Amino acid sequence: MDHKILGTVTILYLFVFFLHLLYFAVKKERIISFMWTTLYITLMLHTAGLVARWIESYRLGIGHAPLSNYYESLIFYAWCISLMLVVLRKRLTFPIITMFASLAALFLIGYASISPSVDRKIQPLIPALQSNWLHIHVITCFLAYAAFIISFTCGFLYFINWRHIIPPKETLEDINYRSVVVGFPMLSAGILTGSVWAHYAWGSYWSWDPKETWSLITWIIYALFLHARFTRGWRGKRIAILSIIGFLSVIFTYFGVNFILSGLHSYAS
Amino acid sequence: MSVTKNSIFRFLSSLGLAIFLLSFIAFGSIFGTIIKQKANVEEYLSTYSETTYRVIKYIGLDDVFHSYWFITAIALFAINLTLCSFNRFSILIKTSEKMVLPDENALANMPESFRVDGKNIENTIETIKKSYKTVYEKEDGLILQKGTISRYGVYIIHGSILVILTGSLIGLIFGFKGYMVLQKGEVKDYVISRGGSSKKIPLGFSLRCKDFQASFYPNGTPKDYVSKVEVLENGKAIMDREIRVNSPLSYRGINIYQSSYESSPSFLFNIAGERVMLGERETYERDGFFMMVMRFVNSIHNFGPGVLVAYLEQGEPKSTWFLRDVQRLKEQKILGFDIKLEDIKENLFTGLEITSDPGVWVVWTGFALILFGLYANFFVYFRKIYIRYTSDGLSVAGVAFKNKEAFRDEFEKLKVKVFGNGS
Repeated sequence: MDHKILGTVTILYLFVFFLHLLYFAVKKERIISFMWTTLYITLMLHTAGLVARWIESYRLGIGHAPLSNYYESLIFYAWCISLMLVVLRKRLTFPIITMFASLAALFLIGYASISPSVDRKIQPLIPALQSNWLHIHVITCFLAYAAFIISFTCGFLYFINWRHIIPPKETLEDINYRSVVVGFPMLSAGILTGSVWAHYAWGSYWSWDPKETWSLITWIIYALFLHARFTRGWRGKRIAILSIIGFLSVIFTYFGVNFILSGLHSYAS
Repeated sequence: MSVTKNSIFRFLSSLGLAIFLLSFIAFGSIFGTIIKQKANVEEYLSTYSETTYRVIKYIGLDDVFHSYWFITAIALFAINLTLCSFNRFSILIKTSEKMVLPDENALANMPESFRVDGKNIENTIETIKKSYKTVYEKEDGLILQKGTISRYGVYIIHGSILVILTGSLIGLIFGFKGYMVLQKGEVKDYVISRGGSSKKIPLGFSLRCKDFQASFYPNGTPKDYVSKVEVLENGKAIMDREIRVNSPLSYRGINIYQSSYESSPSFLFNIAGERVMLGERETYERDGFFMMVMRFVNSIHNFGPGVLVAYLEQGEPKSTWFLRDVQRLKEQKILGFDIKLEDIKENLFTGLEITSDPGVWVVWTGFALILFGLYANFFVYFRKIYIRYTSDGLSVAGVAFKNKEAFRDEFEKLKVKVFGNGS
């Protein structure tokens, strides 16, 4: 059931992407408002897919929220991205940004559903994961990652010059900054909840495990971003570059650590 | 003299140093994740050349997070953060002391402003006072504020980082990390330190493992580890608890976590009428007969568990398998001795992680403070409303330094409230 719903959701994300392309081809505002409607429906269906998987896990006698393995984290990341888009809709008036963000959601959910290296089965929770901290930790981390994807999109678009498609530089900078303002406290909360959890599960709130260390590196980069902007008055290119570096660090924290480095978080791969 | 002192202070409290140190800590940490930490020499030499290994060892890249340069950077950062916050805080206090009501012209030129005529004066002040805090009230007018906490957000965040660092320092100095391996029925009153020197640390009380159980899901992944543990004070049992992963036991400031388990089998042999219990690698000797349990295999070609036993026949080592579930191999005659494998017992050892960290509550306080600070700094904004009495009524104006758009909406709503009453 959950796979069928999520399959439909994948197609809908693809459709959202095509609606953007169509908009750039014919430039009719109605397409964009239709795109938003589609995105709302996609988000609702995506939520239904997560709930279905949750229910399914209870039917299997396992019973846990779909936030526990690599596949579930990918699906949840995609969900966070579309949630972030809907929440920030008022600010995201430039379709190129929503296009890139929804493309990221499409990529994540597509990779999760198709890649042979991703195990899609509902698995029971190992003892270390049986904790209520799991939910709040995963939710805050991925909301942060979703905000950072929007920041990255703005940072990346800053260097591209397609007239009439790319929003003005100041707008990009503003959205970039605002998404970091959402992402940074979320990432902080994610690190702290993870730390409290580690204390209760492993007996140490910080053990310099690669995932922990990389999340701290990411946190430091975004802290530098905020200080550079606020106190140093950095603007333009330099800020855009910092947001790109920050997101590269996010990618490494999420994917790189799972595949390249081993550690306490190895169940995530 | 004072010039150099001043410049040292300025350097130590500068944002430039903060940015440098944070970048340095982030960059240094990368090495701590890509180079294996605290491994032994052989492991390093299997990956790196001898020269590279010497460099790694010399710089301390084999234990980045405890190296002198990493700790120095964190200490410098703490000093920098303290001085930096102190500096900016004194500026903030100086500026917030000034409570001056701007003149009418200045008010009219502010981005958000309106005027109120005579009959609405009290009503307006009343309305505004409902949602803003009065910080100045004199015969020329009033100053009201909202979201004052956001001005302190940055200091709360920076202060809480210092609180967290202090908490972890307390833990490092006064706490310990160790582990204890307990067999069912065993009692111990010390832990083995996790630091470099695996020394014994007395607990001040004893722990007895009454039982340990590991359960598994049908697909073989672990489901639950439970140790039933008794706390003993002077030999008397005073507490009975189950310890699970994610559900540690806290006693007298010491936390006891379920972290792992080990299992080792032992074998009950009947050697010519004498029953002996032997573990792996254990030996038995009698009247010139010598045997040793070599190896245990859980299942040999579906014949069930088996034990490889070695013995000496005229000085020559020989070996034979005993299979518990195969009658012919369960009992064997070796050098005239009837030897029977009567039973195989699984001995489970529970692995407990035992720590004491008196700084952990300081760290938690820091965590709570930093989240509050982040909220105050990013999601609350400071705004001021000035009300000045004029010859024909009131001049009202408002300013926000951040989030100006949100303030414009808020101010518009305020206007509606004020004039809504009159019309």
